[in-house]
Amino acid sequence: MNPRFLGPLFMAPVALFLLVGFATPIVIVGWYSLMEPRSFGLTSDLTLANYRAALTEGYGVPFYWSILGAFVTTLSCAVIAWPTAKMLHARAGRGAAVITGLIAVPIFVSESVRLFGLSLFLMPGGGILAGSLKALFGVSIGTVLNTKLAVYLGLLYVHFPFMLFPLLLGVALIPQDRVDAARDLGANRWQVLREVELPLALPGLAIGALLTFVLCIGANAESAILGGQTVTVVTRAIEQRFSYAQDWPMGAALTMLVTLVTALVVFPVLSRVDLNRLIRR
Amino acid sequence: MTGTPADDKPALSLQGLSRRFGDTHALQDVSLDISEGEFFTIVGPSGSGKTTLLRILAGLDRPTSGALLLRGQDVTAQPPNKRPTAMVFQSLALFDHRSVGQNVEFAMKMRGVNPADRKARALELLDLVRLGAEYYGKPVTQCSGGERQRVALARALASDPEILFFDEPLSALDYRLRKTLEVELRSLQRRTGRTFVYITHSLEEAMIMSDRIGIMRDGGLVQVGTPSEIYDRPRDRFVARFMGEVNILTVRDERLAELDTPLPGFADGHLILRPEALHKVGPGVAIDTTVLERFQLGSRVQLHLDTPAGLMIAEQPAACPLHPGDSARFYFDPDAAHKVTE
Repeated sequence: MNPRFLGPLFMAPVALFLLVGFATPIVIVGWYSLMEPRSFGLTSDLTLANYRAALTEGYGVPFYWSILGAFVTTLSCAVIAWPTAKMLHARAGRGAAVITGLIAVPIFVSESVRLFGLSLFLMPGGGILAGSLKALFGVSIGTVLNTKLAVYLGLLYVHFPFMLFPLLLGVALIPQDRVDAARDLGANRWQVLREVELPLALPGLAIGALLTFVLCIGANAESAILGGQTVTVVTRAIEQRFSYAQDWPMGAALTMLVTLVTALVVFPVLSRVDLNRLIRR
Repeated sequence: MTGTPADDKPALSLQGLSRRFGDTHALQDVSLDISEGEFFTIVGPSGSGKTTLLRILAGLDRPTSGALLLRGQDVTAQPPNKRPTAMVFQSLALFDHRSVGQNVEFAMKMRGVNPADRKARALELLDLVRLGAEYYGKPVTQCSGGERQRVALARALASDPEILFFDEPLSALDYRLRKTLEVELRSLQRRTGRTFVYITHSLEEAMIMSDRIGIMRDGGLVQVGTPSEIYDRPRDRFVARFMGEVNILTVRDERLAELDTPLPGFADGHLILRPEALHKVGPGVAIDTTVLERFQLGSRVQLHLDTPAGLMIAEQPAACPLHPGDSARFYFDPDAAHKVTE
């Protein structure tokens, strides 16, 4: 067989899958977002009314919460995962596998189940955290559940592994002799981090940050289960447009905006990162 | 007596340095003074502890016991970034994510030198290691092996170190390039007047470049001296063998044990005979041999001989008529041979 056709042939199944499962829905949602508000057909005149409404009628706040939540969570995850990854890499073969496993196992449990577990932990009065503090130290704390802090903790807890595992690959890209050389040439620990370690681990860090950010922007369960009514995230707002509000075009417009924001973050980062370095090793 | 001026202090003074890794004694009680402006080479087989020693000298590792003095000042506990020394790594450890210029400027950037001065000095250093200004902006990943070597050297020099350490930096290069760089390193050391401490497992490299050589074995310094001192008067059989091909004969009870020849007045020990010390004519102790192999070495031939003392090696002018299978009698002068006890 002509080898020129082999590439396209091998690519065909996944291309077909992406066409049916990704491209087509996006086109339909995009089309819907241009329909008259509160209509259900795909044949009315094209209009930008939904986008105008999305930007003016109070949908800014859910947007703002989702982006802020994603940004803060990504940053926090990176700050916590960096020393963790360094430690796990340094101890490779000496108990690191066990710790890595312990961090990975929760991923196999349904996210809702984990979040309900966390809500038990954070519950006021009789919750595990408040109850233990009271029983052991006699300290009474106010409620954490149903606050923004609880949502933040939930986001952090759920998304930490998505930062950690790519970062582990990234940290493995830092050869020890480069760190030694930098130290030898007069770099202190911060300078080593800034000049050598971060640039060399960048592919892993970037992939981890992208995964975390994109997952957080689309996250909904954390605010629903842990946040009570304190925050409405953008995915919740979209869901409401499609369900209770019966305003599909509006929901579609919001969906397109979220997709746009995500694309604006993902593509510039991906274009700068040499993924091959992570895979080839 | 007045106090010694600082200039008289050795550039580097190693005082009983030891390093253990668990139960392994990688370094055992190494003491040594290296003078200002000296090219000192540490030679030893792999596993002899030379890299461990160099890492301690550079501050990348700490000794388990002992002290390290730099111009009389104790730096044993000082981290590498606080020491006025720089190292050229075996792997070179270049920053592949940076350009040649950025690599060379690294140490100056860490010290907060402004960009204009950094660049001027980097170009000077690139010139010193014979890389043109056109290399300044080039990614190091696009440089050849020899060019990378020079970048590493310029980068180390840029920190303006009092002492430069080299951890077998030439071992990965091909023969011709290695020869060129050995000569260049030596001349660079003379021009800059700095102290160089060099590690290699190649004795040839050490002989060409060094003012003094230290031979290491099993974590200890076996012998320290100038290249000719060590070549002519090896301290023991290990050093003698390390210095090149030699024949070693045992003396016991005033007799040559292997040949059963009397040697009146000789103490127990060993005679070290270089291949060129075996002659076709007497006087001297005679050895009856059979030629096993003949190798042409330019203007000389090397003969492998089967003797009562086992395999011996002789060197003769190229005109030597002996060929494998021939029998021949060789002589050597036992009084001229170097004697060792161990």
